[in-house]
Amino acid sequence: MTWRLALLLLAAASLVPASQARIDQHTGTFRAQEEVLYLWSGEHVRRLVPGFESLAADIYWLRTVQYFGGQRLFVSGKRFELLRPLIDITTTLDPRLEIAYRYGAIFLSEPPPLGAGRPREGVAVLERGVAALPESWRLRQDLGFFHVLFLKDPQTASRILIEASQIPGAAFWLRTMAADVLAKGGDRASARLMWQRMFEQSEEGIIRENARVRLSILDSLDARDALAAAVAESARRHGHWPARLDKLAAEGLWRRPLADAAGYPFGYDPSTGRVFITDQSPMWRPD
Amino acid sequence: MGGRLSRTLAVAANTFRETVRERVLYNLVFFAILLTVAGLLLGQLSVRQDEKILKDIGLAAMDLFGTLIAVFIGTGLVSKEIERRSLYPLLAKPLSRGEFYLGKFAGLAFTLLVNLGAMLLGLLLTLLLTGRRPDPVLLGAVFPILLGLLLTVAFAMLFSSLTSATLAAVLTVSVVVVGRFADVIRGMRDVAPGVPPALVNALFAIVPNFSNFDFKSKVAYGDAVPAAVLGWTMLYAAAWIVVVLGLGLAAFRARDFK
Repeated sequence: MTWRLALLLLAAASLVPASQARIDQHTGTFRAQEEVLYLWSGEHVRRLVPGFESLAADIYWLRTVQYFGGQRLFVSGKRFELLRPLIDITTTLDPRLEIAYRYGAIFLSEPPPLGAGRPREGVAVLERGVAALPESWRLRQDLGFFHVLFLKDPQTASRILIEASQIPGAAFWLRTMAADVLAKGGDRASARLMWQRMFEQSEEGIIRENARVRLSILDSLDARDALAAAVAESARRHGHWPARLDKLAAEGLWRRPLADAAGYPFGYDPSTGRVFITDQSPMWRPD
Repeated sequence: MGGRLSRTLAVAANTFRETVRERVLYNLVFFAILLTVAGLLLGQLSVRQDEKILKDIGLAAMDLFGTLIAVFIGTGLVSKEIERRSLYPLLAKPLSRGEFYLGKFAGLAFTLLVNLGAMLLGLLLTLLLTGRRPDPVLLGAVFPILLGLLLTVAFAMLFSSLTSATLAAVLTVSVVVVGRFADVIRGMRDVAPGVPPALVNALFAIVPNFSNFDFKSKVAYGDAVPAAVLGWTMLYAAAWIVVVLGLGLAAFRARDFK
């Protein structure tokens, strides 16, 4: 009798994952996150869990990470519509969760396919963070950086970086960077410095990885420009654009690989002499 | 005086033994599993927020499990004795109703203290084993949780002296939930300016503000709760506990068991 019962239990238990897989097949694995739209305001969620707001914020934070990771990995035509509401709910429940502002801002701002491509929303998240944590110079620094990197607004960025530099404990270089941003209008060197700072300040994980990719993109852009200069030099010598990029090595004009930081060969148009990062490469970004 | 105290303590010791026999402390096993699983998984999922989340889970579990014990065991402390008629032989002994009532309260209070202590130890151990610093500031949240639980027990006993265990549990849960929303009552002036301020003040005064005992979010970020705040919180809890226990004792004394 006992073994029969055990067998029955085992059979029933094995039906659980099988039926779940079938349900997922019909409704989509990530449908659960869409429920969050019914709780459109963090304030409503907060009212539902008096005394347990912090734990609720953790749950929403884990869902945010899961949602974003899931969308990035498994969804084609990623739009990350729920990223903003999830971040808003999380930070309403726990306004001190600094990582949520930084994470939300980066991945709302990054262009697709890495992020949602909505930099104004990313900046809005950071502004909210700065209001909630006025003593955090890093959040204010990020807000300044984002004004340069995504909104191309060096004036505002410079003002915010000066404000950040006045917060006790702030990094000493913020004031210099504010002046640089204003003087150079957020050129590639300033952008490199900003991503380098974000890379150094982040612990191992997705935010650090994003900064690393950004630095690699800047390296690729530098390499592309140097290659374009070599192409121009070859054209000056011969009176026409080189037929292929590998001719440059034979002429002693190029000694490095003819590929971007991700290993993808640079694109080249011999009729115009234009060198470019191909859109197949993860280093490619829209101009 | 000494005899009165020893009789009260005897009831308390008996109540503690009874709760242990009722497997109340089994919740610790669930707590241990929860923390172990959280400790193992969070590092992967939380983008470096595992320490904070671990503390949140630990403290929330202390609060939640403690409240469940306080409500469901607390409401049974008096009413069960009445329903099982085991109260009558007890009261026939040289034991006053006051000694019985306070002894029951002290016994469950000790159970909750042991439960919270074990959970705190478990949380500190988990932090230590996952390479984090076992933070003593956590005590700044655990102590107020205990105060809130003691007030919950006082309410549970008050209601169970007046009515059945089931209704007492419903009423106690209602008081705790309303108490956690006390700030909404205080904020009523902003959303409903027509309500007379005296009414708002009176409502706010008669509802125990359970959010006063909530420092979980603060300590999860490593912030210490100032001693003065803890002192006032203790006084607030003591005042409420004395009032509610006093009312419960009066109701219990007035009850006719014939």
